[in-house]
Amino acid sequence: MDQKITRREFISLGVSTLALPAFLSSCLKESPKQALNFYNWSNYIGKNTIPNFEKETGIAVNYELFSDEEEMFAKLKTGVQGYDLAVATDFLIPRLKALNLVSPVPHDKLKNLDNLEPRFRKPPYDPNLDHSVPYLWGTTGIGYNKKKVTPAPSSWKALWDPRYKGKMTMLDNVRDAVGCTLLMLGLPTDTSDPAHLERVKKALIEQKPLLKRYTSAGFDGDLLAEESWLCQGWSGDVLRAAKENPAVDYAIPQEGSFLYVDSLCLIQGGRHHEEALKFIDYLLKPEVIAEVTNTVSYPNPNRNSAPYLSKSLAADPRVYPDSRTMKRLSFYNVLKPEVEDRWNQLWQQIKVA
Amino acid sequence: MAADQGGVITAERAPQTRRIGPVESFLSWLVKGENNLASQLLLLPTSFWLTVFLLVPLGLLLATSFAQRGDYGSIVWHFSFGNYLRALNPEYLPILLRSVRYALAATIVCLILGYPFAYYVSFFVEGRKKDLFLIALMIPFWSSCLISIYSWIIILGSEGLINSLLPALGLPKIQFLNTSFSVILGLTYFYLPFMVLPLYSSLEKIPKTYLEASKDLGAGCVQTFLKVTVPLSFPGIFAGVLLTFIPCVGDFLTAEFLGGPQNYLVGNLIQNQFMMAQDWPFGAALASLLIFFLLSGLWVYKKLEGRSLGMELR
Repeated sequence: MDQKITRREFISLGVSTLALPAFLSSCLKESPKQALNFYNWSNYIGKNTIPNFEKETGIAVNYELFSDEEEMFAKLKTGVQGYDLAVATDFLIPRLKALNLVSPVPHDKLKNLDNLEPRFRKPPYDPNLDHSVPYLWGTTGIGYNKKKVTPAPSSWKALWDPRYKGKMTMLDNVRDAVGCTLLMLGLPTDTSDPAHLERVKKALIEQKPLLKRYTSAGFDGDLLAEESWLCQGWSGDVLRAAKENPAVDYAIPQEGSFLYVDSLCLIQGGRHHEEALKFIDYLLKPEVIAEVTNTVSYPNPNRNSAPYLSKSLAADPRVYPDSRTMKRLSFYNVLKPEVEDRWNQLWQQIKVA
Repeated sequence: MAADQGGVITAERAPQTRRIGPVESFLSWLVKGENNLASQLLLLPTSFWLTVFLLVPLGLLLATSFAQRGDYGSIVWHFSFGNYLRALNPEYLPILLRSVRYALAATIVCLILGYPFAYYVSFFVEGRKKDLFLIALMIPFWSSCLISIYSWIIILGSEGLINSLLPALGLPKIQFLNTSFSVILGLTYFYLPFMVLPLYSSLEKIPKTYLEASKDLGAGCVQTFLKVTVPLSFPGIFAGVLLTFIPCVGDFLTAEFLGGPQNYLVGNLIQNQFMMAQDWPFGAALASLLIFFLLSGLWVYKKLEGRSLGMELR
């Protein structure tokens, strides 16, 4: 065979190379069909939520997942384009706002906004819900294995119990690790007092040799597989593990804990905000969000969703805490940037210790 | 000849009279490389690639390392050495030393495992079968690195494969995960091919006649190996050690999943700055320092190597 490239082949190669950018850009261009790019936590939506919305409205939803909100934030911060709607945890919202990464939410476009419980209408991280609409919420608590851990943990101190050495995990984020340690020590949860922080540091460094690992994405899997017996974790994930392994249970310690809200935010620069708002309004319908809760075991902030919830979930105080437990729960504090820096440095010192 | 289909077919068409088109003549000019410009043009795509995707990002990294962190993790372009002063804080020294120690251990284990393998394949395996061995070596690379890590967790876990077999044999369970052992094992597993391939390519190049000559001159097998084979494979050892050691020092996934809270490495520290702490300038300073340490280590090594070679020649 002749190995030389013939002229025609060469030209066709050249033409196709020249055509490549045009081809690529046509791929990236808008399809005439309405679409919406939605960025969400993994395992955080109902089975039929998106298909039903697509059927109802004809808007195609491109669904992308993250398992780490820091990763999500880093991606948005570096200016990755193309997202219209993202789920962000409450503490991220002031940051997203300050860095101009989210657009205001026009309330007049949301017919179903009144379905929100009053408690979630004025949260400290976004007092008028100008930039976020609550999606689901949850609590931080202790997940444990009933067979291995007796008595059942009632205090954060359980996570310092040397009997469970190597069988415990802590959440890998500063808010929950430092926040809950402050609660355990009976200190104010927005402190920047060096003496307070020193005590937290000492406690967490003491705890380190007892831990299997710090993890925010694997605590439920470890608990399910009985690789860990005790963990600091988020309610829904622990309860999902409990569905598969009946030995798993969840408790909120007596010192109190945090309640967090995951919210829907319009991402600055997204080109489908109209569609995104339709989707937010759809998620504010009681029957729609109830299906999400039924799937993921995280409570929703919709005051009219109770009739659509599966009975076992609605009556479960581990999902919807009773009013006594509710008094012990608070939102994360919105820390001043310099206090947040201080906490981050503290967390770093604990990690390297 | 598709290109000339439209032309008049004549009896005397011979290769030397065929008209050469401008494209073809350009290509032959380029490929022959007789002209200086032509040979430089050949380098153009790679130079472009390296400039855009290596030098520019490195420059940006260096620039960021002198900036400061603003509120909510933004970058403030205000020049200072603060990040470097912070990075040289002695509290980070144990982390750096631990990373170097683990990387060294993994490199040594890779060399011990890899050298006999490369030696065997280059000298005792014939023709086609060599490919088979090298493919077998590459198979772990066909799956994602995260999947391999999870497989190791399943194998080493406290309720894992090995630990579920041990009681059946009447042995106590062993804590494998979250130890220095599991981190070094993971590093060795991932970087073994980086060691073997350069070793293989340098051993492969040694002419068998050299070995025969050595034996003819009275050297035994061991002496031939130590005085001929090993020195001749030295470039391969050097390349293999570098290709293993350098990525091992900066690795963070292995320590993250197999190391537990007690085995925090410099890679984790850097990754944390870019993600959790949202302190890119500090992360950039740590990364730049690591690159600087590795480069200066390499430089010192090259100097020493040059000197010892010089002494041998004298």
